[in-house]
Amino acid sequence: MKLVTAIVKPFKIDDVKAALTDLGVHGMTVSEVRGFGRQRGHTEVYRGAEYTVDFVPKVRVEVLADDGDAERIAAAITDAARTGKIGDGKVWVMPLDGVTRIRTGEMGHDAL
Amino acid sequence: MSPGSAPARWATTPSELSSLEDLRGRRERLLADRTLTGAAFCRAHTDLVESWLVDLLGDEDGVALVAVGGLGRRELCPYSDVDLVLLHGGRKDVGAVAERLWYPIWDTGLSLDHSVRTPKEALAVAADDLKAALGLLDGRVIAGDSGLGQGLLEQALAQWRRRAKRTLPRLLEAVEERQQKAGEVAFLLEPDLKEGRGGLRDLHARRAAALAAPVVDADDSVLATPRDVLLAARVELHRRAGRAADRLLLQEQDSVASALRYGDGDADALMQAVSSAARTIAFVGDDAWRRVRSWLHGPGGRRAGGDHHLGVGLARRDGEVVLTGEATPATDRSLILRAAAVAATTGAPLSGPTLDRLAATATPPGDPWPDEARHALVALLGSGPSLLPVVESLDQYGLLVRVLPEWTAVRSRPQRNAYHRFTVDRHLCEAAVEASALTRQVSRPDLLLVGAFLHDLGKGYPGDHTVAGVALIANIGARMGFDEADVAVLVNLVRHHLLLPDTATRRDLSDAATIAAVAEAVGDVTTLELLAALTEADSKATGSTAWGPWKAELIHELVVRTSDALADDGQVVPDSAAAMAEARAPALARARASLAAGASVHVEATWPELVVAARDRAGLFSDVAGTLALHALSVLAADVWTSDDGVAVEWFRTEAAFGAEPDRAALEVDLSAAVDGRLPIEARLAERVRTYASRRAAVARRAAPRVLIDNDASARATLIEVRAPDGIAVLYRITRSLAALGLDVRHAKVATLGAEVVDTFYVVDTGGTKVGTGRRQEIQRAVLTALARS
Repeated sequence: MKLVTAIVKPFKIDDVKAALTDLGVHGMTVSEVRGFGRQRGHTEVYRGAEYTVDFVPKVRVEVLADDGDAERIAAAITDAARTGKIGDGKVWVMPLDGVTRIRTGEMGHDAL
Repeated sequence: MSPGSAPARWATTPSELSSLEDLRGRRERLLADRTLTGAAFCRAHTDLVESWLVDLLGDEDGVALVAVGGLGRRELCPYSDVDLVLLHGGRKDVGAVAERLWYPIWDTGLSLDHSVRTPKEALAVAADDLKAALGLLDGRVIAGDSGLGQGLLEQALAQWRRRAKRTLPRLLEAVEERQQKAGEVAFLLEPDLKEGRGGLRDLHARRAAALAAPVVDADDSVLATPRDVLLAARVELHRRAGRAADRLLLQEQDSVASALRYGDGDADALMQAVSSAARTIAFVGDDAWRRVRSWLHGPGGRRAGGDHHLGVGLARRDGEVVLTGEATPATDRSLILRAAAVAATTGAPLSGPTLDRLAATATPPGDPWPDEARHALVALLGSGPSLLPVVESLDQYGLLVRVLPEWTAVRSRPQRNAYHRFTVDRHLCEAAVEASALTRQVSRPDLLLVGAFLHDLGKGYPGDHTVAGVALIANIGARMGFDEADVAVLVNLVRHHLLLPDTATRRDLSDAATIAAVAEAVGDVTTLELLAALTEADSKATGSTAWGPWKAELIHELVVRTSDALADDGQVVPDSAAAMAEARAPALARARASLAAGASVHVEATWPELVVAARDRAGLFSDVAGTLALHALSVLAADVWTSDDGVAVEWFRTEAAFGAEPDRAALEVDLSAAVDGRLPIEARLAERVRTYASRRAAVARRAAPRVLIDNDASARATLIEVRAPDGIAVLYRITRSLAALGLDVRHAKVATLGAEVVDTFYVVDTGGTKVGTGRRQEIQRAVLTALARS
């Protein structure tokens, strides 16, 4: 099993959600995060004063997947979240040792 | 075990066992009987447990079983603790009696809070331990030697009364701490029915205060219904949860509502009833504690004859705001709001008799409101957290809906979603409180505060709350006396109050189309600033999940980009110069004539407006403003300009601090001296500040003054905008600091909006040109230093 994690632009989360629903993904975890990548934040001028944005607001999406599905899920997120501009984010896939559904105690594939 | 010794305490005898089973079964049947709710359930439950305890104790000499807490008050909820004191007159074997009692109680599954004491011990504990003392006040002898038990209860009450001056401050402190921790029952969407402010514990505390302090009314019949409402909700909550739960969570509200037959399981109806009950309890409690404080202070704490005048018909007396003899509630249309504003800005509550009198006789503000009423509302809304208790007292006396009838629809109204913490009415008040900290971020604090206070009013009406809210604010804004343009801004604020958060979190901010759409909806930079501040205030007032750096940053980026787009459109439209010149011409002509005839100053007064004209010189505006301050005139608005031939014409709209018109002849003499530079303004003002500052000594203000400097707003002058709280001679201080820097005010727009000041000055330096950007900091520092002195 795999954990697919993606960092995307906030306004892209609805598109990502729709794309994953189309793939039959039933659940995901979404959190509000802040960070920076290669663009290193940016500088803005507002009312004559300069200020620096160190951390840019992003959304993190986490999806648990069977080994065979992880690639397709990562690809779907990549497609849905792409604008072609700086700051589009990243997707990565990690192996998992195990998953348990707390309510029923089901494990592995059944817990997805 | 040797024969004849006492049975081991874990061995339950057959007869005890049957009695245990019996109690368990009967409690279960009681719980299953859904017709038995609220106080009736508590009484039946109390009787059941009590009769079982009587049997359990049986015939014992020299001991008494005293029920304290809920059992003592006959308010035993399904899973309440059973609080018992086993009282004895010094029996050596009392331990065995206690064991014979406590173990079977534990075995029934009842949660037991127990102690074993002699009367002397019980009194000693009560002397030190507030909780024990309060328990005995609710105590009831339920079994055993009633003389012994009754004697203790009487002594405990006597001790409570004797030590009241020491104990009541501790009780008050404990009450405040508990309320702080548990929040308000009336306004939280998931209230703590027992510990919260306005909850059941407040009833017990008030009763304890009434037993000790004669100033608290012992008759609490007004609280009987509120108590029953809370008790009923708590009983059902215990039933659903199967344990002693006191916080009425969203997920339980439907089933509690249907058990108590509110509509068809209408949780909103339940929560509205809970809220109303808690408001009454909290309000009656506040009144009691105010009396207790005053009583503790004693007559020495009250200053005789120490009336502080606070405007027409209002004064502060004994730390409360009261109506004076000159008040005319039946005809004074701004009185309710002025009284409230004074109370909120000075942090002194409205006195009970004053609220009674206002409720009985005060006239509503009418349609349209007089200007004073609008100013007072803005001052009230801008007062920060002290707004809350004042609005609550207006509400309790029906005065808030008299001022704003539309408020009825949101009063105590719950809202069922995951983000909100408060009922709609409290959310609106909290939004105003949050907005009061953001007043320096906008050029129209009055519109921000009123917008924040009314933005969700539509939630009390059918259909989409924004659509309903737009229609409401259009009417209300006009009724409040805002002009057409201001009403349009208010309407825009309500219509778009969700625009920034929705767009910032769901749209691509780097897409020009996104920014263009927001710019078009918002219209201008003033409204954008207002909307940004409203969004922050609204979100913070919603709950901790609705505002944080994540959202703040997204919204900030949207605002910056939209602001750039609006500025590129050249949206800054100056007043039509031609129209203004025409309007000013007659006054200028009269001024020229009178100056030509040898007068040093020309004064025209049509109260509350005043025109002062003179040959322009550096510092003239400041000297005139200072003279007005010396005559106790607050400047609400001013428009100042200099003609091409060097005649300065200054128009003021003023408000006399003490209501009466000032002595016009004396004012003209002083103005003339001031224009000639012969009036010791600084010295006389210092004296005034010493005398009157304490009257204003207000609640700490949260927003610091701001000075904005813009060299692009005008072709010929530098614009300086000062946003600050109002105070004595604020205009004088600002303009004097500008004059000291050698800056000449060519044109000024002054506005006092409630307790907020937004003054705009177009200045040039000694060479008659714009001020160099290098002097920016120097100017800001000078103005801020001057403001710190007012």
